[in-house]
Amino acid sequence: MSTIKLDPVTRLEGHLKVEVTLDANNAVASATVAGMLFRDFENMLLNRPPRDAAFLTQRICGVCPVPQAVASSKAVEKIKGFKPNLQGLLLRNLIQGANFLDSGITHFYHLSLLDYIQGPQMSPWTGGYTQDLRFNAADTQTLTDHYISALQIRRKANEMAAIFSGKLPHAANIIPGGVTALPSSTEITNFRNYLNEIQSFISNTYQSDVNMLASAYSDYYNVGTGYGNLITFGVFDTNTSGGLLFPAGTVIGGTVGAFNEANIKEYNKYSYYSSPSGQAPASGTTTASYGKSGAYTWLKSPRYNNTPFEAGPLARVWVSGDYRRGVSVMDRHMARYVEMSKLVSNMQTWLNQLTAGASGFTNIGAPVSGSASGLTEAPRGAIGHWVSVSSSKISRYQIITPTCWNASPMDDAGNPGPVEKALIGTPVANPAQPVELLRIVHSFDPCTGCSVHVMSPEGVEMSKFVVQPLGK
Amino acid sequence: MKINRRDFLKWSVAAVAALKLEMDMDKLNTVMAAESDPPVIWLLGSGCSGCSISTLNVTNPTTIEDVLQNKISMKYDSTLMAASGESAMQALENAVNQYNGQFILVIEGAIPGGSSKNYCIIGEQNGVPLTMYDAVLKYGPKAKYVVAAGTCASFGGVAAAAPNSTGCVSVKSLLSGKTANPVVNLAGCPVNATVMVQTLLDLILTGVPSLDSYSRPRKYFSTDVHSVCPRRETEEVSQPGIYGCYEEIGCKGPDNQSPCPSLKWNNKQGWCIQSNYPCIGCTSPAFPLNPVISVSSDD
Repeated sequence: MSTIKLDPVTRLEGHLKVEVTLDANNAVASATVAGMLFRDFENMLLNRPPRDAAFLTQRICGVCPVPQAVASSKAVEKIKGFKPNLQGLLLRNLIQGANFLDSGITHFYHLSLLDYIQGPQMSPWTGGYTQDLRFNAADTQTLTDHYISALQIRRKANEMAAIFSGKLPHAANIIPGGVTALPSSTEITNFRNYLNEIQSFISNTYQSDVNMLASAYSDYYNVGTGYGNLITFGVFDTNTSGGLLFPAGTVIGGTVGAFNEANIKEYNKYSYYSSPSGQAPASGTTTASYGKSGAYTWLKSPRYNNTPFEAGPLARVWVSGDYRRGVSVMDRHMARYVEMSKLVSNMQTWLNQLTAGASGFTNIGAPVSGSASGLTEAPRGAIGHWVSVSSSKISRYQIITPTCWNASPMDDAGNPGPVEKALIGTPVANPAQPVELLRIVHSFDPCTGCSVHVMSPEGVEMSKFVVQPLGK
Repeated sequence: MKINRRDFLKWSVAAVAALKLEMDMDKLNTVMAAESDPPVIWLLGSGCSGCSISTLNVTNPTTIEDVLQNKISMKYDSTLMAASGESAMQALENAVNQYNGQFILVIEGAIPGGSSKNYCIIGEQNGVPLTMYDAVLKYGPKAKYVVAAGTCASFGGVAAAAPNSTGCVSVKSLLSGKTANPVVNLAGCPVNATVMVQTLLDLILTGVPSLDSYSRPRKYFSTDVHSVCPRRETEEVSQPGIYGCYEEIGCKGPDNQSPCPSLKWNNKQGWCIQSNYPCIGCTSPAFPLNPVISVSSDD
């Protein structure tokens, strides 16, 4: 048995470590995936006005801040029994959609592609693995050129969002009650110009590049398959009565089933927490305990019906019926393209539905008390905020993010997390350059900034345990 | 791809002219001769990568593809770099050794300290986990310049917000008295892309800019948002989402120094007040207050 350790796994947001053991044939026998940053976000939210959470939780992840603001706002709105008007929902869709387009393009070109080609031979693009690079010089040059032009497109997706959100990262105006932008006809036209350019890039350049990748690496339809269980909370309101562009659901063995949030529990036997394992997010607690015996990560293990599930674009397009070929490294890339293609054309529709000068915001004030969940999707998968309010202040806050689903450790029953499972069984051709592992991990688009906040405060006692001595 | 020195020089001159700075050709030539591709090392601590993303969004003074290909040499940046695992950590160590005393160290995010050091581990060196805390202490003193990108690195920010159970500290507090030059705080949540990239350029061309009492460059942080706000003379409104001035509902513009009204965000497509929400004071050492914005009493 030999061991490969990748620490840090680069080209993702945050700090991630992967460690695998290889069997006699250099196939992965066991795998651990670990998040190496703990931020204790939820504790900071305690005793704050509920509206503050829409701002502060965006600071969990600068890559996909918008879904955090949307999840937080939805939870607070649900406590108030309020739903934004169509204008507010459309503005959220357009800002969140722009964040998806930015994230998807960044993921394919800037986070994943260097696992398949050598980029420009200068820092920071040197020093990557040279194992199993299959493109000829001309194709490599094409993809490298597109890496550069994609830098412009992802920037423009951010600029497009900022027309209605004030800025990105960290939208200025998505709060409980809606979105405070009052879009002028000039701004709508400006947004449309950006959208047209991005749509053109997706349907021409991105489509051609992802197909080129799938063609050269078609064996990757059989690599990193994992459990094949998919979960999505649903996203993008199409009307004020609950319609969604990508509906909530689960997939087991290729068959689509219902989703019920009551079936979610979080386990932490292998996480650096000493708090009780197996709780529902609405009543979860977290006590940090770095160095806990047997533990190896700051991530907990969210499970649905006690089973590991994979979240992300593939889950969304499978449930919506837009893509159902299979579950693998290459299917994840194809699904992301299929989703972005559908999303960008629906954004055109939503933009046309906007009313110039109309408000998408209602001043609903803070709820006095109550509890609710706010569920939506980040580019990398299902995200939920569980919020409790008493005396108009936050009394409990729990977040489950996409990378919690995907990069979770073993649960208490010993089932590896989805990324771990996807790694197990993979043959590594050259253990000195384990590029297969990187390709699998990157296909999930992990984001550990957002994965490490699964801890939930239990009232004010929280402040006592968090400064306990660490390590041995 | 090697940097084209003539292009760099041309671009630098234009940038300096745009800034109305005095051009010191000798100094510039020395910089160019000494290091044709100024090395930058970017470390992420307890943060959200928002400052990395914001920097990728830069358009003024130039775009990121130009910065990376022609202006600086990004030796370590875990978000972008091709190398992973051991070779990534080796690239970091090599760059520090090769450019000892010459590189610019950019720190994004705050730094979990004290007994919480293990709350952020940036990788493994020789089988030993390297905490962000130890990395900053190890590399900070070897840098020519240290830049704190964003409010978390500058002041603790959201990462160190009360009760700060992860013991997060700012770059300046950790490196006090240990750096060749004063730590430059580029406050903002995230850092404004122009402030970030232009400051890197300023450091390369002219050295540490004039800093205010919070170690922020004066040219970006000496004006209250409110004093230059285009809505200053408009009617005060009692809720967000209505066009007007938000002073009555706790806008931090009167207390917060930031270049937002002029630089704006995302290639000038927007900024907070333009989106009909008050300034939340994200460049302030006190950010984020509880509540983030509030109506001050009796004023």
